[in-house]
Amino acid sequence: MAHARISMCLPPDINPTQAAIAYGCRALPKLNQELQSEDLLTRQKALMALCDLMHDPEHVYTAIDIGCLESLKALLKDSNDMVRIKTTEVLYIMTTHNVGREGFLEHDVILALSYLLNDPQSDCRKNLHLAFKHVAQLPSGAQGIVKSGLIPSLVWNLQREEEEIQVLLLDTLAACLMEDSTEALSSRVVPFLKQKLLSTNNDIRSKAARTLIAVSIPLEGKNQVWQHDVIPILVHLLKDSVEEVQANAAGALMYAMVTTQGKYAALDTEAIQPLMGLLDSSLSKARLNATKALTMLAEAPEGRKFLKPYVPIFRILEMTPEAVRRAAKIAIKVIEWKP
Amino acid sequence: MYDRRVVRGNTYALQTSVLPGQPDPIEIQRQQQAKRRALAKKRAQEQLRPRTPEPVEGRKHVDVQTEIYLEEIADRIIEVDMECQTDAFLDRPSTPLFIPAKTGKDVATQILEGELFDFDLEVKPMLEVLVGKTIEQSLLEVMEEEELANLRASQCAYEELRNVELAEVQRLEEQERRHREEKERRKQQQWEVVCQHTETAQKVAARAFAQRYLSDLLPSVFSSLRDSGYFYDPVERDIEIGFLPWLMHEVDKTMEYSMVGRTVLDMLIREVVEKRLAMYEQKENQPPTRKPEDELGGSGGVTEPPAGYEQSPAQPQGPLVDRDPLERRPDDGRYTENVVSQERKLLEEEEYEQARIRSTSGREVLQPREDLEP
Repeated sequence: MAHARISMCLPPDINPTQAAIAYGCRALPKLNQELQSEDLLTRQKALMALCDLMHDPEHVYTAIDIGCLESLKALLKDSNDMVRIKTTEVLYIMTTHNVGREGFLEHDVILALSYLLNDPQSDCRKNLHLAFKHVAQLPSGAQGIVKSGLIPSLVWNLQREEEEIQVLLLDTLAACLMEDSTEALSSRVVPFLKQKLLSTNNDIRSKAARTLIAVSIPLEGKNQVWQHDVIPILVHLLKDSVEEVQANAAGALMYAMVTTQGKYAALDTEAIQPLMGLLDSSLSKARLNATKALTMLAEAPEGRKFLKPYVPIFRILEMTPEAVRRAAKIAIKVIEWKP
Repeated sequence: MYDRRVVRGNTYALQTSVLPGQPDPIEIQRQQQAKRRALAKKRAQEQLRPRTPEPVEGRKHVDVQTEIYLEEIADRIIEVDMECQTDAFLDRPSTPLFIPAKTGKDVATQILEGELFDFDLEVKPMLEVLVGKTIEQSLLEVMEEEELANLRASQCAYEELRNVELAEVQRLEEQERRHREEKERRKQQQWEVVCQHTETAQKVAARAFAQRYLSDLLPSVFSSLRDSGYFYDPVERDIEIGFLPWLMHEVDKTMEYSMVGRTVLDMLIREVVEKRLAMYEQKENQPPTRKPEDELGGSGGVTEPPAGYEQSPAQPQGPLVDRDPLERRPDDGRYTENVVSQERKLLEEEEYEQARIRSTSGREVLQPREDLEP
């Protein structure tokens, strides 16, 4: 029979791994203090509690305001694996919010995180790359990453990391290279991406193709892509089973074929047929990219000759809404141009 | 109320473990019973309190029967055998309900309607908070993910469009560049063609002009050259170059010889005249007569050698002097031979005279001889 008497002992601790979260606005300052404590257990418990709290953007804002980032930066260099893993997880959760991303850029957390690129713990690295990926979604974040000179090490790590992390890295690189690809081009990103294009993992292929799109936007990138013979591989990927891969490959080809050398390289590897096949793919991205790629090819006289009989298909495409219609119109114009 | 004999719940899995914090209910009951026994014992002891006093010294307490009817106290206890036998095969009767003796005070309480909390009412806010918080947290997380997914989707769409637009821009740029380069190349070609054209025309014109100019030039050049003597007759030239200098040289030489000869002759004549003067003076010393011509000749020879040259050879060499201007011809060979032969003749004459003088005067005249010797 339960007693109506209130027991003198404290209620049972539901989660002993988490620090007790203080009520209301005292929660974060107290956690911040605990983060700086000397005791390992306290720090770990505080980190776990922080992980839960950081899902709320208001808490993220408050945390950055009271300077949690400084203590977190200090904790990144801690010797205990668990602490590092949890710190990176907290930072990653913070980057999913825009406030967190801006705070990162202000407090130079990117540089502090970069020291952990070679951490032995794979979870740590995974969280780290997730954080980078989210930071790179912001244009100023991508610029921050580029400015802190991390691109060469990221490209280098692309070779050595495990597959999951490679996926994240490719995402980060794609976003950063949209901003500025000069550094990456000088650190031999194209050969690495070429290898990744042949990987068995669908995600990796599609993301590698997407990164190639970003790489081949500047002229230097296009030249390198042609030099390293990536175009035949891209044409081969156009017949890939995964639609995302096809769409991204078409996009990369679209950019690589702006130069004359690229055009003729693609024509040599019979790119027209697969591209025509892509025109009725279900992904609008694939259709758009394929149309544009065919437009590029039509600039060359051989391409124009080849595409002349396919003009009706483009007329059909003109019926579809918006961007594809514009692209189809331009394609028709280019095919039927006479010097 | 916890009774050890009454087991609640499933008896197939008896609860053997005991919560460490709380004391065992059996123990509680035992303790309570022990307490009750102790209490009862104490009370019993209280009742036993009044006792007979101790025997006075020398006396002994003995139990004595003081009742009316005396009882025999014997060691042997009266035993009576009694038997009892239960009825056969009777069911064991149910255990009588054990109701312990009532101890303690009876206290009663009654909870009236509405004095305690109403569970349903009270639990609502708590439940609301609990459920609310949980749902809030989960909503937050779901929203976060949805937001991210939306962001990602819109970013993808934007990226697609951007890529396409960028590709279009680059294509147009490339096209523009190619067209421009083509234009430049064609312009360059045309320009080169035009340049070559003009150059050829200029060359042709220049050539025609040059030809016309030069056609006049050639005769005039030849004539001027001829005029300035560049075209020479080789024999004439040879004569001019080779022969004439040699001729002049020879003429020079001959003239020199003649000059030398004349000079020598002058000297000879002077010597002779001086000697003759001396001789005549000697002779004058003896014969006071002297030829004034010789004096003249001698003085002329002493004071003015060139005049002497003119006058002194006038006498002995009259024909020679006369001949000199007349015979100054380019025909040097004959002239020099003439001069030489005449000189030799003169020399011989002089020697003859000198020998005569020597022989007469007896003075050796070595100097003119030596002067004469070239």
